Amino acid sequence: MKLYLYGIIDSSDEITDSIYGLEGSGVYNIPFCDIGAVVSQISQPIQNVTEGAVLEHEVVVEKLMANSTVLPVRFGTIIDGRDSLLSMMQSYYKNFKDNLARLHNKLEFGIKVIWPADKVKANIIKVLKKDGQKTLQSDNSPSKRFVEGKFEEYKIGKEFDAKADKFIKVMDIFFGRFAAEKKLVKLKTENLLLDAVYLVEKDKQNDFREAFEHIKSGPPGLKYLFSGPWPAYNFVILPKKSGLLTDSQKTDLLGKVIQDQMLVGANSI
Amino acid sequence: MNNVIAKSKDVTLLEILDRVLNKGVIISGDIVISVADVDLIYLGLKVLLSSVETMEKLRGSPFISPMQEAK
Repeated sequence: MKLYLYGIIDSSDEITDSIYGLEGSGVYNIPFCDIGAVVSQISQPIQNVTEGAVLEHEVVVEKLMANSTVLPVRFGTIIDGRDSLLSMMQSYYKNFKDNLARLHNKLEFGIKVIWPADKVKANIIKVLKKDGQKTLQSDNSPSKRFVEGKFEEYKIGKEFDAKADKFIKVMDIFFGRFAAEKKLVKLKTENLLLDAVYLVEKDKQNDFREAFEHIKSGPPGLKYLFSGPWPAYNFVILPKKSGLLTDSQKTDLLGKVIQDQMLVGANSI
Repeated sequence: MNNVIAKSKDVTLLEILDRVLNKGVIISGDIVISVADVDLIYLGLKVLLSSVETMEKLRGSPFISPMQEAK
């Protein structure tokens, strides 16, 4: 029988709660030394990735999170039997142990900050004009105007970037002091000022939430998306193995994805 | 009001998909029966995730006021 793997936990004990996973199968723990792999039996490989299946996976992981430290496993991982699973556990044991120790008693929170990029840029242009610096309008020759235009874009971009850095620095002062680890991505798009994940100790989660409530009352015009607590999806560190898609392979596949409109939940969105 | 709740759920769903399909422990090797579509689907989803316009649509309301500095 094939086993669908949800996560690795820091316990080799039997799961006493009734938890049901994909295909409605009971979820149980397969111990390996002092840790365990949480699985349910599955009759066949997953044919279609559906919202329902993804949510079932997540619900199991969140239930595990209540009583254990859990390393969430990516959706769709099916192991070809118990022996194979134990073999995998043996080869990954040290990595799993290191991660479980590092992530013990910690939760992940996500914060996205959206700003009105067009308004920020408009303000930058206004300030540059006020300072007497040249703007995109010029009465010189086309070639000179082109060069000036490019330089102007560069100045605006640089200022835009500096403003983003400034905002992120302030926000990170608020959130960072309650975080054990963090990952910040600046300007994933022009409007997405910050896409951040923080790893927070359980006993500091209320402080972290309060910091968020406090910063929400800050500068108007910013919008915030707060999510969590999550299992530490973004903070598991494992060595890269072969067989995964490279970035270029992924990019090549992107066209096909869009073409085939294989978007999970696209209809509901 | 129901509409607002539904939109919040959509945003949460995006957050869940972002994690469950793309993050966490990735185990490779012959013992794993992979779901080939996961990478493909996540790539498609990534387009949505990085689209603030989409998120804004989900949130329902436009920016209420400009940033203080932009006044």
